[in-house]
Amino acid sequence: MISAAALVLATKLVVWHAYSGGEEKALAHVIERYHAQKPDGAVWEAVNVPYGSFTDKLQAAIPRGHGPDVFILAHDVVGQWAKLGLLEPLDGHLPLEQVLPTLWPELVPPLRDDGRLLGLPLSWKTLVLFYRKDLVAVPPKTTDEIQQIGDRLKAESPPGARRYGLVYEAGNYFKHAAWLHGFGGQIVPPGSSVPQLDNPEQLAALSFVKKMAASGDLPEEMSAVLTTQFFNEGRAALTINGPWFVSEIAKDVPYGVAPMPVVSATGQVAAPLTSIEAGFVSARSSHKALAADFLRFLAGPESAYLRATIGRQSVSEKTTWDKLEVAADPVLRAFFAQRQHMRPSPTHPAMRSFWEPGEQALRQVLRGLEPKDALHGAQKLLDQYLRPPPQTQSERPLFFALSVLGLALCGVQYARLRKRNVFSATFAEAWKERGSYGYVFPALAALLLLSLVPFAVGAGMSLFHRDLDGGWRYVGLTNFSDLLLCKTGGCFEPLSFYFTLLVTVLWTAMNVALHLALGLGLALLLRSPWLALRGVYRMLLIVPWAVPNYITALIWKGMFNRQFGAVNGMLALLGFPPVSWFSHFSTALAANIATNVWLGFPFMMVVALGQLAQIPAELEEAAMLDGAGLFQRLRHIVLPLLVPAMLPSVILGAVWTFNMFNVVFLVSGGEPDGATDILVSQAYRWAFTRGHRYGFAAAYAVLIFALLIVQSAAARRLLARRSD
Amino acid sequence: MANVGIARLCKDKPSVHGKGGPHRILHDISMDIADGEFLVLVGPSGCGKTTLLRCVAGLETLTSGQISIDGQPVSDMPPQDRDIAMVFQSYALYPHMTVRENLSFGLKMRRTDPSEITSRVDEAAHMLDIGHLFSRYPRELSGGQRQRVAMGRAMVRRPKVFLFDEPLSNLDAALRQQTRLELLRLHKRLGATMIYVTHDQIEAMTLADRIAVLKQGKVEQIGTPATLYGQPANTFVARFFGTPEMNLLPGRIEAGWFTADGIPFRVCLPGFPDRPVCLGIRAEDVQVQQTAREELPQGRIEVIEHHGHEDLLHIRCGDKVLSVRSPANKTWPPGTVVHLVVSPERCHVFAQHGETGADGDRLGPYAQTEAPL
Repeated sequence: MISAAALVLATKLVVWHAYSGGEEKALAHVIERYHAQKPDGAVWEAVNVPYGSFTDKLQAAIPRGHGPDVFILAHDVVGQWAKLGLLEPLDGHLPLEQVLPTLWPELVPPLRDDGRLLGLPLSWKTLVLFYRKDLVAVPPKTTDEIQQIGDRLKAESPPGARRYGLVYEAGNYFKHAAWLHGFGGQIVPPGSSVPQLDNPEQLAALSFVKKMAASGDLPEEMSAVLTTQFFNEGRAALTINGPWFVSEIAKDVPYGVAPMPVVSATGQVAAPLTSIEAGFVSARSSHKALAADFLRFLAGPESAYLRATIGRQSVSEKTTWDKLEVAADPVLRAFFAQRQHMRPSPTHPAMRSFWEPGEQALRQVLRGLEPKDALHGAQKLLDQYLRPPPQTQSERPLFFALSVLGLALCGVQYARLRKRNVFSATFAEAWKERGSYGYVFPALAALLLLSLVPFAVGAGMSLFHRDLDGGWRYVGLTNFSDLLLCKTGGCFEPLSFYFTLLVTVLWTAMNVALHLALGLGLALLLRSPWLALRGVYRMLLIVPWAVPNYITALIWKGMFNRQFGAVNGMLALLGFPPVSWFSHFSTALAANIATNVWLGFPFMMVVALGQLAQIPAELEEAAMLDGAGLFQRLRHIVLPLLVPAMLPSVILGAVWTFNMFNVVFLVSGGEPDGATDILVSQAYRWAFTRGHRYGFAAAYAVLIFALLIVQSAAARRLLARRSD
Repeated sequence: MANVGIARLCKDKPSVHGKGGPHRILHDISMDIADGEFLVLVGPSGCGKTTLLRCVAGLETLTSGQISIDGQPVSDMPPQDRDIAMVFQSYALYPHMTVRENLSFGLKMRRTDPSEITSRVDEAAHMLDIGHLFSRYPRELSGGQRQRVAMGRAMVRRPKVFLFDEPLSNLDAALRQQTRLELLRLHKRLGATMIYVTHDQIEAMTLADRIAVLKQGKVEQIGTPATLYGQPANTFVARFFGTPEMNLLPGRIEAGWFTADGIPFRVCLPGFPDRPVCLGIRAEDVQVQQTAREELPQGRIEVIEHHGHEDLLHIRCGDKVLSVRSPANKTWPPGTVVHLVVSPERCHVFAQHGETGADGDRLGPYAQTEAPL
């Protein structure tokens, strides 16, 4: 009774995490243990938030006071979120001089900002070397030894099934950073205030990777999935991967784990980037003391033991590592050995803009470009993304312009109504019908809330700039002038508005032309009432429409993979060499167009079939009697009647294609190097991957809207002229 | 110009889902159309006349039988090779082409010399008075104009045979009459073989050299308008022609006298065996008089229709009503009892339903100059 009442009265607190599997179970056990130890204390509830939306949800919820009291997250947000005021400093809440000595010292500094400690490290996630025991007896210690293993396996390979030494996601910068560190470099070099690409150490690391790729020791276009597949199938002996990889290794594969090797050229360890998983207290929690207490327990030895054994985490608490079970786990042992040579990922706010140029340089080098040129181009890109924000401007001209405009509109409307002498009549009638406005109101409200308000907010956003600390500053038309005057680099570079506009127009025109040709052609073929084929074409129709288009896009992307894709496989059957689809603009564009045409032709086909049915049969019969054969009838009668009738659908298709984000983003991903990006995907990147320039991206969106308005107005006039 | 031969033509329509087996829409049709003849196919809706026309055009396939033009079998020839022109009920003008282009289309398809095209188009336009419409589009034309353009399109090609599929049914009454006359003149001028489909018996009577009456896919009778009017082969043909319809009275012939069933009507008809028959008498073949005579059938005037130049009397005789034409100067009020004078040689005698011989087949009295098939 009393404990039940106590339960009701007890404070309920929430901890957010993105764990799954063993780690989630471990956390549940920890909470249980905490409750057992402090039965009259707070009651904690663990909430699992999906990894993809974790940071977004936190950023949205905490400032409104809806967030958790404690959350578990990687450390790299510390720099930014401290400035945003989302994190509660722990200095006042915990006896840090007692707590910190129990934790590994190198895990603590990245969690400091301005001297204050913002989170307690719980575990670390880094990269290690996984090896197959049946292919490699002794794990290699240097890159030269890796090379030797690779050469041996290549020589021993059965014909047609080449084996590799080391495979890993070479295009992923997080993994590549290990080589950078091995060549003595850092992402944010000492003495620089921002991340840098164009320096000798980056060059050395890139050249190293290029050599591996050029000699064929590294398979092309390796994705995470392919890496896992190769390792499990025994086609690769080594891979660089993180703790998540353990659950993906097939059951019967004998594997071992070793620390990262030394770069033979420099003698330095290829120290991998590390993510430190820490527990944070929300700055808006109403029970900060209780939260800090829980956090202390979370980082403490009991919890660490559970997390290490059930969740297999590399825990921050020192004494846990002496326990037998933990010391016996070979995977944990390797991660422990790695601890001495790991670098926490930089928390610099500019890091968000770093990954895209870094990975572009990597991809270009893997395709064969000279490392020096690749770095040079990537650095230029990075400079663009890190360019200083626009100046704040006075809002006065805007208010002035808006009020003048508003008054002018009101005046014009008043004059028009007055001229037509309908003033009193209009209002009287409106008042009479006031009941019916009630019925209109829900739809009107929905229209306002879901269409007009977001549009107005988005358009308004284009006049502002969002700083890194979250504040918005009015900058007038600077975003637009930056866009239209090509301030983001040359006007002929892929990044410029005009280049992207050209690509978008080309993309739209080719797509619509092919949609029309294919849809029309099929409709003409299938219009004769061949009952047997009707079922076939209905299926033809439904499949592209029924499958969600992003799934289609992903499947097609897989089909265009250079080494293992179906398209190159078919080309090989026909005797053609494989095509590297995403290395060149023309082929990447062709891949995108192929996907989009597959998605879009059913629409044109249906419309064409409908229009064909409206052509009276007698017209064709008259033409037959007039002596016209099949092709003559098509050319002189059917097509001239059909094509103008298809105009509305063509216009609709053009607008849809202009904004087809899914296909472009998912199939080519803008490859090569942003050349196949269309306006919408460029806007997306500016908003979310290049320093969060929301205002700039909003300006993009406003321009796209303006373009489409002009296009549809022109089209409508074209229609009105024809339909008389 | 050519003659058209149709031999034992049958056409089946494939079964609709659910019903078993195809059903026959044209039964064993045979006819020969002479060179330059204007043949009208006439009959009620659904009798197969349009289908027959389309078979001749090549727009429908035959199940069995043969069609030949100028002695050459064309059943396997596609429509474009048959050298036939057709005027559709809805005219089927190409909406995206001007009148001139519509007229030239057929010749263009046959790669005729452009100067030849121009001269023929101008000639047709002159004949049909549509020259001033050359640059207009079909949607800018009136019904009558469209119809003439459709005819012009057929004419410029100078085909072997002209086919007409109810071309006047979309016109108003006045225009219809005017166009009928124009068609007659056209036929006289061109001397072309024309096959014309209509459901209107007046059109058939006024335009045709010969008429073929169809009912449910069978030819009931082929003959000149006079033959069909004066010597109908059965009650169907008899009722089809003539306004008002022929009066038909079922009854019996006994000892040279016809007695109608159930009504006091007797006519002397010598030369017929005793049998049940159906007597047909046209409205204009009955005289009405007030003077009574012993053997004359009598009746009471129910309704009088005044047509200006004549009156149409509806006379009740027992439970039947007979239509009788009367000159306009006789003024009898409704309700008057009158006597009907019927001359035997103006009577048509048909077999009654259910007897041997087809329903309503003509039994006499005249020697037939044309076998009814």
